[in-house]
Amino acid sequence: MSIRTTGRAGAPPAAARSARRRLGDLPIALTFLAPAVLAAVLLRLWPTVRAFWDSLHNTPLGVEPTHWVGLEQFRTLFTDPDFLNSLKITALFGIVVNPLQILTALALAVIFNERIRGGGLMRTLVFLPVAVPQSVSAVIWAVAFRPDGPLNGVLARLGIPSQGFLTSPGQALPSIILVVSWIGVGYWMMFLIAGLKEIDPVLYEAAALDGAGRWARFRHVTVPQLARQITFVLVADTISNLLVFAPVNILTNGGPNGRTDLIMNDVFNRAYNQGDIGSAAAATVVVVVIALAIVLIQFRLISRGSD
Amino acid sequence: MSSTETMRRGAIERPPAAPERSSDRADGNRRPRAGLAVLGWAIAASFILPLWWTVASALRPQRETFATISPVSLWTLLPRDLTFGNFSRLFDAGFGRAMVNSSVVTAGTLVGGLAICAAAAFALAVLRFPGRSVFFGVMVISFLIPFDAIAIPLMSIFRGVHLDNSYVALILPGIGNGFAVFLLRSFFLGVPTELADAARADGLGWWGVFWRIYLPLSKPALIGAGLILFVFQWQAYLLPLLIAPDPEKKVAPVAIAQFAGQQGVDFGAIFAGATLTAMVPLLVLLFFQRYFTQSVSASGLK
Repeated sequence: MSIRTTGRAGAPPAAARSARRRLGDLPIALTFLAPAVLAAVLLRLWPTVRAFWDSLHNTPLGVEPTHWVGLEQFRTLFTDPDFLNSLKITALFGIVVNPLQILTALALAVIFNERIRGGGLMRTLVFLPVAVPQSVSAVIWAVAFRPDGPLNGVLARLGIPSQGFLTSPGQALPSIILVVSWIGVGYWMMFLIAGLKEIDPVLYEAAALDGAGRWARFRHVTVPQLARQITFVLVADTISNLLVFAPVNILTNGGPNGRTDLIMNDVFNRAYNQGDIGSAAAATVVVVVIALAIVLIQFRLISRGSD
Repeated sequence: MSSTETMRRGAIERPPAAPERSSDRADGNRRPRAGLAVLGWAIAASFILPLWWTVASALRPQRETFATISPVSLWTLLPRDLTFGNFSRLFDAGFGRAMVNSSVVTAGTLVGGLAICAAAAFALAVLRFPGRSVFFGVMVISFLIPFDAIAIPLMSIFRGVHLDNSYVALILPGIGNGFAVFLLRSFFLGVPTELADAARADGLGWWGVFWRIYLPLSKPALIGAGLILFVFQWQAYLLPLLIAPDPEKKVAPVAIAQFAGQQGVDFGAIFAGATLTAMVPLLVLLFFQRYFTQSVSASGLK
């Protein structure tokens, strides 16, 4: 992410020093870097390579040795109705949850950036759910969604009949969306508030002098000035939503009838419940490829936005 | 916008309560302000209510929790019959072990993670050597691979070397954190190089420069990076679920989820466990909120 800044910040001293000594501080630098590089290679790159390797090999449970099967496991995966369903659910989830969270986070950022009495406390309260471990949030919401839980209690007060929520095919995915948004929106809001504080107030004054109303100022000052942070949040949020696992695993385990079977839950069940490492590896490769594609788009958007 | 410069020291050292600019704007009248305050409180309340209800339910008998739901009233949120019985049943069920495991794993991650991330950030920010951009590239690319996405192959690797159900397997994945490296690196870039040059001229080695000059100057960035490592590890669910299912090594987020999934669940104890597991990061974050906000504004600009 900071590649762009390295060269610029380090160029003049680097040139001066490497003229002084060819190798520079290489030996000592290696000792400083070694643990982190080892961690990066062994715990990130190697498992990723391993997922690709496993996806191309059959690793049977019996005595038969592991052997090359090419793209066979991908072919099986992409004809497996469960996997296709989970791709479809993940796409549907992403199309709804990402714009919803970003627009909500933006609206909250704008509201809480105003000078209101107690604004700092309000901001903190909105932000707190992100600090709660996701599995704990899921456990709390599991009770909240129960037929005899507080959500149905509130509905009863309003004269609305009891709802199934997690057990209803139509309401289960929206319920998951509610939970992950409750968790995440405050976090993304913090990035956008940090961006709002960077905007030069002179720009708003100039716009006001030009007769721009609230909406026009938001549209023509806030949004363009915030483009960098919005892009960052868009991508980081999209990736984190691609990887949603604990809430699904705990609240619905993909049900009812696969309606909430997001891709990480599908991968997990392939490995954990079906013990099918090859197919789990192939599905992992699909997740990694999707995630890297999203990151590449990020680089494109950010480098275009900053030039 | 000179984001490169602000990203360095400026972004981190800026006081948290930066003067808000909204008052400078033309719309200073009172009525929208009052309306905004009401709206703001309503939003804040809706976010905090589930947590409030959890704590309230942890402190009262289970019977009262469900009795106050139908019909919903103010008593849904206020415990009348205070008790700590939920907590004692929780610990009787062995939850203390999980809290200890989570604490050990998180502490190990914090110490190990800060050490290797700060050392790497120092090399990338301060030292000059050929191939620096290559090392930086390797780190960036590997840390861009989302951690949870590779949980399954990681599990296979740890099992292969018989490290499953060990603290090592729980700690190691959390120690290399890209955000922490970037945050520390951008802070180190803002430390005047004259300091290091002077110390070097006086015969101090690079480790001395790192340990005696850079680290003491970087407390805010170290706390920010520490919070990132802490929150990440305390939350971890998928990987611990896969590599440490053994009751002896189960961490709190996994234990609470499995506790809630059992037949004939004890809701009082679940609320107590949820409260304890959530309270640790909440208190840490509230205490260090300033540093977290600063790290957010620094990383958001990357």
